Amino acid sequence: MLSRDDIASCVALALPVMVAYVSIGIPCGVMEAQIGFSPLMAFLFSATYYSGAGQFMVSNLWLAGTPLVTMILSISLVTARQLLYSTALSPYMECVPTPKVLRFGALVTDETFGINFSRFAARDGWNVDKATVVNVACMLSWATANLIGAAVGSVISLPVDIMSFGMTSVFICLLAGQSWTPSAVRVALVTAASVLACKLMVLGGSSIFLGAVAGVLAGVALDALLGEEQR
Amino acid sequence: MMSTAQIMLMWAALLAVMLACRCIPLVMLQGRVLPPRVERTVGSIPVAAFTALVANDLIQPDTWGQGPRGVLVPLVSAGIVLLVARKTGSLIWCAVVGMGVYALASLL
Repeated sequence: MLSRDDIASCVALALPVMVAYVSIGIPCGVMEAQIGFSPLMAFLFSATYYSGAGQFMVSNLWLAGTPLVTMILSISLVTARQLLYSTALSPYMECVPTPKVLRFGALVTDETFGINFSRFAARDGWNVDKATVVNVACMLSWATANLIGAAVGSVISLPVDIMSFGMTSVFICLLAGQSWTPSAVRVALVTAASVLACKLMVLGGSSIFLGAVAGVLAGVALDALLGEEQR
Repeated sequence: MMSTAQIMLMWAALLAVMLACRCIPLVMLQGRVLPPRVERTVGSIPVAAFTALVANDLIQPDTWGQGPRGVLVPLVSAGIVLLVARKTGSLIWCAVVGMGVYALASLL
């Protein structure tokens, strides 16, 4: 059972992401209203499906006249990066009851993966309950922002590009905090080059998943080639 | 506009895929002792994932046609955020400085 102080410290940790989610969630809700979502639907969709990239794609693809099946397949490909996050988090789920694992796992996003993975890796008493509080706090801010966006429509205008860069900054901070071994540098370089290649091939949101997979595979191959497996 | 039936169908399909991706590896690999090679591979996922997320945000080919400004604003802002990250390690400071620098650089 978490104390009130524990919950407050988890929410404080989630705060930068919550603020960014509010600023990006409102325009996302505005777009969802444009394709037929009621505010309640926008809230529930955001609270359950809970994917910024996926939800923006839903509105964009529908407005572009994309058939429903194509939309679902395209968005599912972008979703595949969640497999990587889930795999990376699995070592920290040892001895945790499965319902708790599912409750935590169902709400992992790019941002909450970053926060929680860093804290799990620090091995400073971080646990699934605290990680779930971070996830729920972020999810509620996202879903509420979508509800507001769907309710008020385009009355509110936010500088989305500036707010989005707040999220990029969070990712940069999480990346900088990684352990920079020679192997990690190689993984990062191959990943960045792969994302660039995917972008040039206009692969859009799939670039993240494809770039990361290329980086991980190249890292393993290069470690084997350079004889660094035992280090 | 999407009909309610279309929204429900899309919602169910996307949610099923999302929950499968988010939960199946967590539950399947939970508590398993992984072979060293697999463990090293899994260990490299965070660096790859964060690099991919940052690169995806910074590399925007559609802005390249707008001259050096479209490329430089995010890159310079990212460089300053990196310095703040190395100095403070604080997510909040990085987000605040990042948005501030990006806003200022966009105005110049």
